Amino acid sequence: MTGSALALRVVAAVPLSPTLKAFTFEAADGGLVPPSGPGAHVRLFLRRGAWSRKNAYSLVSNPEDRSHLSVIVRRVAQSKGGSAFLHEEVSEGDVIEAGLPANLFPVVRTARRHLMVSGGIGLTPFLAYIAAFEAEGTPWELHHFCRADERGAFAALLARYPASRVHIHCDADLAGLAQALACQPLGTHFYTCGPALLMEAAKDLALATGWPPVRLHAESFGAAAEGGEAFVAVLQRSGIEVMVGPETSLLDAIEAAGVEAPCLCRGGACGQCVTSVQDGIPEHRDHFLDAEERASNRLIMTCVSRAQTPRLVLDL
Amino acid sequence: MLVSDIKSRPVYERLRLDRAARRHLVIADMSRPLDEVIDGLGTATAPIDHWVVAATSAVDARPAVERADSGSRVEKRAFRASAHLLDRLSHRLARETIGLRLYAVGEEGFIWNVARLAREAGMEAAECQTAHAGSLRRDVFCVHCKTITPGVTTSIAACSGCGAHLVVRDHFSRTHAAFMGVQADAEAPGEYAPAEEIFP
Repeated sequence: MTGSALALRVVAAVPLSPTLKAFTFEAADGGLVPPSGPGAHVRLFLRRGAWSRKNAYSLVSNPEDRSHLSVIVRRVAQSKGGSAFLHEEVSEGDVIEAGLPANLFPVVRTARRHLMVSGGIGLTPFLAYIAAFEAEGTPWELHHFCRADERGAFAALLARYPASRVHIHCDADLAGLAQALACQPLGTHFYTCGPALLMEAAKDLALATGWPPVRLHAESFGAAAEGGEAFVAVLQRSGIEVMVGPETSLLDAIEAAGVEAPCLCRGGACGQCVTSVQDGIPEHRDHFLDAEERASNRLIMTCVSRAQTPRLVLDL
Repeated sequence: MLVSDIKSRPVYERLRLDRAARRHLVIADMSRPLDEVIDGLGTATAPIDHWVVAATSAVDARPAVERADSGSRVEKRAFRASAHLLDRLSHRLARETIGLRLYAVGEEGFIWNVARLAREAGMEAAECQTAHAGSLRRDVFCVHCKTITPGVTTSIAACSGCGAHLVVRDHFSRTHAAFMGVQADAEAPGEYAPAEEIFP
């Protein structure tokens, strides 16, 4: 990950619902924020005493507008600390350190039309997408799935756009999406962002409707990292052993031990944290390694994957 | 001769029906039995359209419906000439939806014109297969005057636009659906090797 950091001043922290909060940042030095593209995210460096975390959030602001960056943060019930910290301890006027925006979920520039499916907070990258599509006049269609009690909050974020393009669903019925998938013109690309189950279902539906994989694009923040059996990670180059508890991720345990490990999305998607396994068998939970790489057991994505063996020896 | 292992030279495999498709459109530059040009007919489920260039004014405009071994519906249409077929293809693609797979078989000039229309209609390479059949003759794009000279069978050929003697290269342009031709006697006017028949 690039070492260059930004200093961002919080200019607005607005609750959108009991668990959603929108943050707007300006450059602390008063200049323009760095360039980004639709689908980009920014990593916020969150610190309180000895506790620290680097969390990635999709930018929802229009990338063309360099006056500010905006994100929307969901306060997660089993928060590992990042979202709770942002919700409760960050307010207007605070300055937060951040990485430069990076984009692991870019728009396909050759597409004639864009069809998007989001679930809950997974709407966020598409807010930037839609701003860009509207600016350049590319047709688009969004199917957003959310709980009924959050419909209002998401509808408000989309209120400025033509109702014909926006479809908000408050149930698990994919019939409307199936209908949309069956009638898209040839140049359409399909994007999903949200809970893994929704993204899988949407992808399966697209494949069953004859969509080739090359047209399907998925953003997959979070959700993959859940606990499991405790194990010991041996960091060979650092010469230390780290206990990974049942509720901690391997990456968190490595960071807590004071070892700098590469990482970016913390959701098993981007590939930044890929690490060599010297001994032991990983339990792969990422979306990045292909079947062959998984089967080799020589690589692991530390942010979401764990161990099948009591010990895992890593090149770190 | 500048023939070499240039990467742009297309490499072909046999056509194979993509079982993920909702509709197939198989296009051939002459009438060839479907099972000779494409694999997977035995297990096809989606309907198949089969368009061929008849190269005669005596075509029956009505489509003929057959059944593939799998029971899949095959609808065959004949067109007077490749220009006629390509014209109808661009209209068809403008109305098509995702789920279509396109397959083109024939001489290279023809199949890449089909592929170009597919690309212009927004199709991805993964949705359009090409396979070579028949003569090796080439459509040659003159890099000097931009004219495409069709049906070249020789190593050096006169450009039908500017008359330059062109060396026919292996360098292939998918945009132009043609091989590149460069002036053979650019350095010493009038001096070029005799033309050999190498694309029969």
